[in-house]
Amino acid sequence: MSWRQRWFPNGEWVLLVVLAGEILFFSAVAPGFFTLGNFFEMTRFSVELGLLAVALTPVIVAGGIDLSVGSMMGLAAVSFGAGYHAWHLALPLAAACAVLVGCAGGALNALLIAKLELPALIVTLGTFSLFRGVAEGMTQGAVNYTGFPSSFLFLGQGYLGGVIPTQLPVFGLIVAAYVVLLHRSVIGRALYAIGFTAQGARYAAIPVARRIGLVYLLSGLVASIAAIIYIAHLGQARSDAGTGYELDAITAVVLGGTSVFGGRGTIWGTLLGLFALAVLQTGLHGARSVAEKELQVKNSQVAVLCGAILAGSLIVAGTNVWLLRAVGAGSRGSDGHPSPAAPRRTVIAVMPKAKGDPYFVSCRAGAEEAARELDVDLVWDGPTSLDAAKQNELVENWITRKVDAIAVAVENRAGISTVLRKARERGIHVLTWDADAEPDARDFFVNQATAEGIANALTGEASRLLGGKGEFAIITGALSAANQNEWIAFIKKRLEDTHVGLKLVTIRPSDDDRDKAFAETQTLLKVYPSVKLMMAISAPAVPGSAEAVRQAGRKDVSVIGLSLPNINKPYVHDGVVQTVVLWNTRDLGYLAVYASALVTGNKLAPGARALQAGRLGQIEVRNREIILGAPMLFNRSNIDRFDF
Amino acid sequence: MSHTLLSTSSVSKSFEGVCALRGVSFDLKAGEVHALVGENGAGKSTLIKIMTGAEQPDAGTLTVAGRDVPHMTPALARSLGIAAIYQQPSLFPHLTVAENLALALETGTVWRRVHWTARRNRALALLEEAGAAIGPERLASTLSMPEQQMVEIAKTVGAAAKIVIMDEPTSSLMDDEVDRLFNVIGMLRTQGAGIVYISHRLEEVFAVSDRITVLRDGETVATRDTRAIDRSELIQTMVGRALTAVFPKRPVAPGAVAIELRRLSNRALGIHDVSLSVRRGEVLGIAGLVGSGRTELAETLFGLVPADGGEMLLHGEPVRIESPSHAIRLGIGYVPEDRRQHGVVLDMAVASNASLASLDAVSSRGLIDRAAERLLAESYVERLRIKTPSVSTQVGALSGGNQQKVALARWLSIGPEILILDEPTQGVDVGAKAEIHALIQDLAERGIAIIMISSELPEVLGMSDRVAVMRAGTVSGVLSRTEATQDRIIALALERP
Amino acid sequence: MVKTHRREMSVASAITALALVLAVAAPGYFSGENLGDLFMASLPVLLVAIGMTLVVVTGEIDISVGSTFAICGVAAGILSKSGVPVWLASAAACLLGAVFGSLNGALVAYLGIPSIVVTLATMTALRDGLRWATEGAWVQDLPPAFQWLGLTQTEFPFVAAIVTVMLTSAFAWGLGHVAAGRAIYATGSNPRAARLAGLNTSAVKWMVFTVLGALTGLAAVLNAVRFNQIPSNAGIGLEMKVIASVVVGGASVAGGTGRVMGTVLGVVLLAAVGPALTFLGVSAYWERAIQGGIILVAIAAEGIRHPAYRRLASAAASARAQA
Repeated sequence: MSWRQRWFPNGEWVLLVVLAGEILFFSAVAPGFFTLGNFFEMTRFSVELGLLAVALTPVIVAGGIDLSVGSMMGLAAVSFGAGYHAWHLALPLAAACAVLVGCAGGALNALLIAKLELPALIVTLGTFSLFRGVAEGMTQGAVNYTGFPSSFLFLGQGYLGGVIPTQLPVFGLIVAAYVVLLHRSVIGRALYAIGFTAQGARYAAIPVARRIGLVYLLSGLVASIAAIIYIAHLGQARSDAGTGYELDAITAVVLGGTSVFGGRGTIWGTLLGLFALAVLQTGLHGARSVAEKELQVKNSQVAVLCGAILAGSLIVAGTNVWLLRAVGAGSRGSDGHPSPAAPRRTVIAVMPKAKGDPYFVSCRAGAEEAARELDVDLVWDGPTSLDAAKQNELVENWITRKVDAIAVAVENRAGISTVLRKARERGIHVLTWDADAEPDARDFFVNQATAEGIANALTGEASRLLGGKGEFAIITGALSAANQNEWIAFIKKRLEDTHVGLKLVTIRPSDDDRDKAFAETQTLLKVYPSVKLMMAISAPAVPGSAEAVRQAGRKDVSVIGLSLPNINKPYVHDGVVQTVVLWNTRDLGYLAVYASALVTGNKLAPGARALQAGRLGQIEVRNREIILGAPMLFNRSNIDRFDF
Repeated sequence: MSHTLLSTSSVSKSFEGVCALRGVSFDLKAGEVHALVGENGAGKSTLIKIMTGAEQPDAGTLTVAGRDVPHMTPALARSLGIAAIYQQPSLFPHLTVAENLALALETGTVWRRVHWTARRNRALALLEEAGAAIGPERLASTLSMPEQQMVEIAKTVGAAAKIVIMDEPTSSLMDDEVDRLFNVIGMLRTQGAGIVYISHRLEEVFAVSDRITVLRDGETVATRDTRAIDRSELIQTMVGRALTAVFPKRPVAPGAVAIELRRLSNRALGIHDVSLSVRRGEVLGIAGLVGSGRTELAETLFGLVPADGGEMLLHGEPVRIESPSHAIRLGIGYVPEDRRQHGVVLDMAVASNASLASLDAVSSRGLIDRAAERLLAESYVERLRIKTPSVSTQVGALSGGNQQKVALARWLSIGPEILILDEPTQGVDVGAKAEIHALIQDLAERGIAIIMISSELPEVLGMSDRVAVMRAGTVSGVLSRTEATQDRIIALALERP
Repeated sequence: MVKTHRREMSVASAITALALVLAVAAPGYFSGENLGDLFMASLPVLLVAIGMTLVVVTGEIDISVGSTFAICGVAAGILSKSGVPVWLASAAACLLGAVFGSLNGALVAYLGIPSIVVTLATMTALRDGLRWATEGAWVQDLPPAFQWLGLTQTEFPFVAAIVTVMLTSAFAWGLGHVAAGRAIYATGSNPRAARLAGLNTSAVKWMVFTVLGALTGLAAVLNAVRFNQIPSNAGIGLEMKVIASVVVGGASVAGGTGRVMGTVLGVVLLAAVGPALTFLGVSAYWERAIQGGIILVAIAAEGIRHPAYRRLASAAASARAQA
């Protein structure tokens, strides 16, 4: 057997070449890419995903699939959090509890797939919903366990010997265990035989059901370990941990040469797939900004180079989505507004929670307005959809690029704080906007409106419309959305304190989908005929809910909510929607960039009580929070004056 | 004999640099059966793939009904009246028999309506004509191998094809089914069709063919009239060397009883009240129709589906075999009938295949010792004369006979005391067949009790010390070597009054 | 024709059990109004699932339907807004769906790229393309004739119902009784045998993807006209709902099996559960867990009733191995 067949039976060497190509290219175009520090940061971000991918490799080699690993992370995370906080277990016991839950979930998959011989795809599609659902049910979507001791967080955020991320040795250990299991052990050989032909394996006296059961059990177990590292990394245990990870993990496995039909695949192939993706993603974020500037100077050269690299990786990674996603993001990066190259201009990097969201698109308009007024370079980049880990990655990137100021709309408070602190240590000014990080991790927080202010405005409007007495229902976004859950908590408090006549009968999710909000409202109107007011607190949910009320002809039901003016104008004019609560998003973006520029120019010190923000005039600063003002109420009289 | 229906002249084809055919010329006349023989790997399959358009030749021409066909495709072949029956039936497992026939035979636009009753009736008629009693509403996935092959035969009957290519059509058929096939062949021949007939069973070749073409190493060695050649000459032409005795059976003094069955039953598999015993050093042949419970008996003994009634005694001790791994611990090995599906893992290397049932022997504490595994495999490659470039070659790349030897190696490596061989020489060429027979004899001489299931009566008669005949899930009779004749076995298998 | 209806029976029993519980605990569920609303809400999933059944029967999969759904809705809106008559805009949207479908189909059938790869790529590319083009803005200020396709709010559901029932029956009947339908099963059941039987399996695959695209376009239009503005992020997660319905309804992702009737039952089960839980007063936070549990019970019932052992040497396995 030649060495190539032995080590790269499925052409994994191609990935090695791609990986080397990627590293060479990005080292050339992205300053600070080729450093040990950057390498270790990258591996840190890959550990949770890597664990899932490694655990999935034997599953897929044996001809199966496990879609439930991401959901299992959520369930294990919640079990860990609940064990530590609600049941007051010691940390090791809480971890044991999470691992136990992981094993139980894996055992359920194993039972259904190995024992009852049901198709793995459908079974794990079912447990995919079941595990996530139980996690949501346990926490009611809202509970977010934080406040873990720093000795535990060290596992996810600390360094061994000052350079090696703590979780890396753990990852290495599990990888080594899997290499032995799959490539050296009797069990691994059996898995390959099963993957090629399950019937044939039976005839070779291999206990097929037991072997298949084992890999699903292990996959549950490893998912729970990934959950524990995830909690230590991000500092919080929520029911939405690991959402979407199953698809990314499968992508890494398949890219690494494992056949989805079973029988072929190696652990190191999976690792190569994982790192080829991680390097490409990190590299693209770093390289994009450089390309933006150089486009001015040597436009064609860079474009050709970028194109060649991307086309090359595309061909190799024919099986890979994630890559395409990254390429899609890369090509869109150039729609940023490059400014003329000048010696040392101020660069302000602003991150929304999600780039495509209309809310943040309207913020961006204000941010660009401020950047033009102040003549600074604006980098506007963020995850394409809500993704806390991606935010951390981007900040790392910006640190490497040495921008002057970073302003982040935080998706995950505890998770991002470590990296923001690191940015501050490196002399970069850090602000947060829209949602805050830990106070010691940023200079200022641009606060558009407090959760309490929003809750009070919404409850006040509800009380006014219902005449102080009556039933209402809430349509929220996703059940685990942090902002919405905070608002709901304040709304409930306000009901107890002041508006005792109002009764909240139920809370339904809309998953930020207009059509789902529509369907949910239709059902609510029938199940709770006495409900006279729908309070929708996710932007697309308000028009969805309003359309349902209108089509039902229920003129006795009012709709209010938190949303954008434009999409609600028809309903506000029809009288279906009475009030839309929101701040001026354009002003929020404007203020975020303005304040960042002032901080960078040392014109805004921590003790300041006020600042002058261009066309917004005097803005109040309270305890390092820059207050945009009270939330606005849009109604028939004023809504046409706003366009966002 | 009249005009030429199909001919190839100087056809060559190579796969990844390996020459499969070298300037092969072949012709088929109307109303004749032209047999194509040769050892495995001689190029027979490649030649028929070229005739049916599944492969394109690198050089040479294909002529059908006097016209050159430069680019043959399966669809064109069909429209030119070429039909094929392959060794392995290619049916649609999720569809019914009637539909399988319809898909092969019906023509017309894709928007035409499907007439289920008409389909069913036509299927009934065709199956009748082919001599098969199969319900047209059955799903193809529920058919046994011979039943599937009968459906394939019904297809060619229905296609009213001018040129019918049969590649090992009888490898899974019992004698009476073979007779029915020969009837169909006779009928097609009188209708003026030409038949290309490929088989390893030389008796059949002599019984049915008019001419014989011998291929060896991708070249035409000879084309003769069947009457002008005898068996030994044909074999010599095929293998290029003279073969000695056809069956190397030598009497072995039988030892103690290794395994005894007393009214063993397995309702899940449809076998009942099987009583048998096999001694060490003895070869017990098991004959019977396909579906008579022979393979099911083997699967019960091997623990794939545990028995649910009766007794099994191993060396005098009662046992109940729960699983294949249990069977292995008790020293029972089983070389299954379906080599490609069950006997070996085609995508795995020779070494991994050979060690798959005896991994404990080449591992310590659950970890495989690769060096020990290679040594084990190499020793069997040498002992069984397995022709393979190396032990890390994938088994799928080997010929059928060598694949079967790898399957044997897997079970010899557990050091069995009882070895069950299910159709050990099916689809294996003449040379390898003789080697496997010699090996069986050798194993028996070493004191292993051997149970050999075979549909080939000469093999059963030639190799067995005793022959058990099965019918309808139980043993209908056991014959000693001296008692056993073809007639008596067939009588017991059919229980003709 | 496949004679075993085990999965269908299993799913139908689950639906019956659910209906019995509802009849006792929340009879309001069976009001005409609620059933009508449920039907309209599940209509997009149903139409797409029928197309998906064809694709799954050929042994392929399409996970780009959610993105196609969003683009077709937006395209119909933009066209009507620019003055194109609404029926013409709708037809154009269906056509656009067919074009995207045929693109997927061509890549799968003629270039031989695995469908999961192709459609994962088009899913991302189309979704990101739309996000880039609209910047998240909704299509607004549609002409009044757009909503309800120029009909009234009471007429439209009947028209939609007639169209859907006709299409569903046509596909259900056609798959069983038209030669082209049988070619789809043949392609998925044993591609090699299908080619040997002279079927153009590439054309069959290309065709089913195109049909799925067109049905997705139609679903997008019928859904979009229920509103007076069109969100640019519609259909996120549609592919999961559709595939879940199809596989719960008995189609095997390995190809060769699956029927429209089973898919309809799958759609009904999954669409009925969510609102049913609201009617039963179950907290929204437990809904997903219960839905997952119901899927598992529905399919596990089949596995428990029919013991695992089947004939070892199954023809299906050997046929697949040859392919």
